[in-house]
Amino acid sequence: MNAHNRQFKTTCQVAALLMAATALAGCASQTDPKLLRLTESTLDIRAMQTRTFAAESEDAILAATAAALQDMEYNIDQIEAPLGVISASKVSDADSTSEFATRLLLDLLCGCGGSQFAADKHVITITTVVLPSLAVQGEFVTRITIQQITYDKQARITSRSAIDDPDAYQRIFEKLSKSLFIEVNHNA
Amino acid sequence: MRRTILIAGCVIIMGLQGCAATPYDVVGDSAALEMRSVQTREYDTLGKPMAMRAVIATLQDLGFTIDQADLALGIVTGTRLQVSDMRMTVTVAGQAENQVSVRANARVGEASITHAETYQDFFVALDKAMFLVRNNVD
Repeated sequence: MNAHNRQFKTTCQVAALLMAATALAGCASQTDPKLLRLTESTLDIRAMQTRTFAAESEDAILAATAAALQDMEYNIDQIEAPLGVISASKVSDADSTSEFATRLLLDLLCGCGGSQFAADKHVITITTVVLPSLAVQGEFVTRITIQQITYDKQARITSRSAIDDPDAYQRIFEKLSKSLFIEVNHNA
Repeated sequence: MRRTILIAGCVIIMGLQGCAATPYDVVGDSAALEMRSVQTREYDTLGKPMAMRAVIATLQDLGFTIDQADLALGIVTGTRLQVSDMRMTVTVAGQAENQVSVRANARVGEASITHAETYQDFFVALDKAMFLVRNNVD
């Protein structure tokens, strides 16, 4: 009996320590100290996100960039012209075409509004930064970064990440190049 | 045995008390002066506009998009979307010609970043961006 009591006492003590440790661990900061360390892929990513364009002025390339963003259905959130920064965002449907068709069919069958079978949403944020070249007058280095958050039908976040698909950047730069061409010819 | 349970109960309550959220954390809990020195670095190579461009390039290198940038006030705020959102504000104060003081603070989710190492890494990245902007390599 005495041994049983001692065993129970030890168990209680261990449990108390474990529970206290768990409770305190929950309070500790869990951030990774290496969050802001450059990775080996930084240079490759920078190259993918950067193009050099010729333009008559920084204002002209900023106007062309804003127009290209409008072409791609973004809303401009902020422009700081002296720093060459434009930030923009848009909300888009994240469902595939087949999911869209299913949703449409369900809506039709039950005769209810779209909210019950609402789509997943992407919120895409994009930043473009124009830097005048000091080496070559009339050249501007343009760098783009894109991120996305996906919300499910209950408005819960299901993913958030940087967009690092080279094809996406390539297509944006093509749009920007066309917009710049239009801008130049429009003002000519 | 009752004593052990009592002590265990007290320890747990004390542990949980540490987690009890204050209603609104409006003033933070970091040691302000100590954190300010960790978060601040002086540069004497670029003026304020070019230093701010280097800050923006650094934030882009680190995967941020820019939410706000204001040259007059010397403030840049960016967001990085990962498992938790990371937000960073960097202020650039012009001290003299080609001399600036750069201060950065960052939060991940609900937590403020207090690791000195994290800010050191940011300034290492900024050093590189400053070099690239100064030499117009980018």
